[in-house]
Amino acid sequence: MDMNEIKEIFFQECEEQLAELESGLLRLNDGDRDPETVNAVFRAVHSIKGGAGAFGLDDLVSFAHVFETTLDCVRSNRLEPTQDVLKVMLKSADVLADLTNVARDGGSVDQARSKQLIRELEALANGEAPPAAEAPAAKAPAAKAPAPKAAAPAPAPVPNEEGFVPVTFSFDDFGGEEEEVIMVAPTYEISFKPKSDLYSKGNEAALLLRDLSRLGEMSIHCNMDALPSLEQMDPEAAYFSWKISITSDKGEDAIRAVFEFAEWDCELEITTAEDTSAEAGEELPMQPVPFDLSILDEEPAGPIGIAEEEEQIAAAAVSAAEVASNVVQIASAASRAPAETKAAAAPAAAAAQNTAQAASAAGQTIRVDLDRVDRLINLVGELVINQAMLSQSVIENDANGTSSINMGLEELQQLTREIQDSVMAIRAQPVKPVFQRMARTVREIADITGKSVRLITEGENTEVDKTVIDKLAEPLTHMIRNAVDHGLEMPEKRIAQGKNPEGTVRLTAKHRSGRIVIELADDGAGINREKVRQKAIDNDLIAADANLSDEEIDNLIFHAGFSTADKVSDLSGRGVGMDVVKRSIQALGGRINISSKPGQGSVFTMSLPLTLAVLDGMVVTVAGQTLVVPLTAIVETLQPEASAIHSFGASQRLISIRNSFCPLVDVGRILNFRATQANPVEGVALLVESEGGGQRALMVDAIQGQRQVVIKSLEANYTHVPGIAAATILGDGRVALILDVDAVVSASRGQPLKPEISLAAAG
Amino acid sequence: MAAKKAAPKKLSLAPVLDLNEAQALHGKLMGLRGSGVVIDASAVERVGTLCVQVLMAGAKSWEADSQAFTFSKVSDAFAKTTQLIGVNIDHLMAKEI
Repeated sequence: MDMNEIKEIFFQECEEQLAELESGLLRLNDGDRDPETVNAVFRAVHSIKGGAGAFGLDDLVSFAHVFETTLDCVRSNRLEPTQDVLKVMLKSADVLADLTNVARDGGSVDQARSKQLIRELEALANGEAPPAAEAPAAKAPAAKAPAPKAAAPAPAPVPNEEGFVPVTFSFDDFGGEEEEVIMVAPTYEISFKPKSDLYSKGNEAALLLRDLSRLGEMSIHCNMDALPSLEQMDPEAAYFSWKISITSDKGEDAIRAVFEFAEWDCELEITTAEDTSAEAGEELPMQPVPFDLSILDEEPAGPIGIAEEEEQIAAAAVSAAEVASNVVQIASAASRAPAETKAAAAPAAAAAQNTAQAASAAGQTIRVDLDRVDRLINLVGELVINQAMLSQSVIENDANGTSSINMGLEELQQLTREIQDSVMAIRAQPVKPVFQRMARTVREIADITGKSVRLITEGENTEVDKTVIDKLAEPLTHMIRNAVDHGLEMPEKRIAQGKNPEGTVRLTAKHRSGRIVIELADDGAGINREKVRQKAIDNDLIAADANLSDEEIDNLIFHAGFSTADKVSDLSGRGVGMDVVKRSIQALGGRINISSKPGQGSVFTMSLPLTLAVLDGMVVTVAGQTLVVPLTAIVETLQPEASAIHSFGASQRLISIRNSFCPLVDVGRILNFRATQANPVEGVALLVESEGGGQRALMVDAIQGQRQVVIKSLEANYTHVPGIAAATILGDGRVALILDVDAVVSASRGQPLKPEISLAAAG
Repeated sequence: MAAKKAAPKKLSLAPVLDLNEAQALHGKLMGLRGSGVVIDASAVERVGTLCVQVLMAGAKSWEADSQAFTFSKVSDAFAKTTQLIGVNIDHLMAKEI
């Protein structure tokens, strides 16, 4: 594995961490004060910093460091995570994401922005008020304050209870005089009890203790009481715990810093000697630790330098262990890194190796190339077809097939089905990552437009096929931009209208009848129909005297080249918005609807298939053709009786089902399979529910059966056919068309199939 | 007891006694139960806490069996690490010369 691959894995993990970071910050923003949330946020930044350090990504490391320092203040309750603080942090998370992207793809970041944020973060860490009037406030004090060194983990100053803020103070300033300073260094009592995880994550208590011993004069007692007999012990579990007494002038923070990467995996208590003098009665046989432990380093270089180096390497190792996926690679990256920098700290490298081992043991997830999964899905698709063919030929050749063959076939069918479901489950992913990306889009656009926006997401864990997720981001971004830029009003205007000055954009995902429905609702002004209509007339999209319903006017915004924005802004208004959205959604086999109420906002509803690979369908015959109707659309099937059929108007017919009337749609007629309407009594009615709501009874000639079919794109292999969603191969090898129920239903409403197509073609 | 009379068995420790080795070391020691054991730690370059734990558990078990469990030779690294983590092995060092 070469360095680039390792780096790529690091970046993948960065993405996960960034997502974790953002969702954590958003939870905090919503008032979540769970320490675990703060910890998770801290860990995310910390892991990125650690990994970035191993790869020498200095920009990333230094920014992450400042960020981490400020987060640490929140974590230790020194900084209250107010909305203003979180605003800075969310921006910082964005910059961190940018820096990560730049580190991966090249390019440049907005230096001014990241510098400004570094100043703001430092100001927060120093206990200054969040920058309400940021520019002037941040400059003056920040310029005077000594800039914390990026490399040294400078402990953030702690404002004490009285609110005094200590000045940032560095022991480095004292340099060589260290020995001469006559000062009674405090003695700390440390109780350190590792958990087994500490070792399995590649940390080593001995190394921590060695680093600790460098801080001052130390004596140690190892408590072995927990150690069981050889037979009963787990060689990889933690049994030893330590009581350490260390006299150091480096301060408690320096001591904590030693355990920084292990603190989630051990019980650590640090007290100053005075605090514990009361209980000092229990004299433990302490063993003094020699200061010279250079033998433990392979290269007896300056201990401090190495310690730092190791810290970073260990960070990489720990970060890897934390994500517990693909750690093997990262860990080997970490172990390679020191080799390259020639500061090969053997113990640390060993720690990294250990991590690799531990991770392979812990490995709960694996990362698989999507191509492989796709190949598998394709193969399973072929298997399904093959199995159908086999069943068919058995039935044809041996009408009264022996029961053992039939049972075997049935089992095969069941197994195929299970394989298929499992494979699909591999690809199913929650929409959360996409939704999280939207949070950033909202923030940025809100910043640019000067609007105040709150994004509420619901149903983030709704799962949908990976291919759908990947293609969802772009149209959603467009729509969110539109919603904030065009949909929501400026705060003043909102106040004038008695609304909350903060606009709300609500993004919802849910499963509905075998599809995923994503809703984007804003509480803005709604679509200005007069303006849209006028614009459409100006652009020759409609005739000046055209009589359009509200719904039709709303839908005009999906036309190519349509934009109501008076000015072309950076955000939207180029007229390449909603038509692109509609096209992307359609390409996914989905549909988009809009409903808008003036003054109350607009709701965009997208409905997408859960997967683009297979579907359960009912195989039917229509005018001699075999069609597949997606099972998810069908509510029930029935054999109409003559008495239930009622004529309505010139050619419409209704069918009465349990005292309600439902329009009867002749599929053969709509698809132009036949010129005259079929006799409903001779056929079968499929009661379907369509996206637009409402039920229709689709008339088909006969039902052949029900089976799972593999979707083969018609567009890719032939061309789009109105009213047909895709094709499939049946058991006998023939091609059957999959009916686009919604298109047929809307065609039955009098909207011919044509315009939809011309719009898609034009778009 | 027959076991008591058996000559102590020798166990030479690997140079690197890290997490990977803990299980193996545990296995090796388990295989030596029942007779005295003399451990040669002179080749050890690096030893982790887990392996020290295994060795100490061994010492405890051997002691319970009233069998000898001694270190014949230890490397500097081994001695320093045990000292660092506060594990005293003085009483386990071979007494004769």
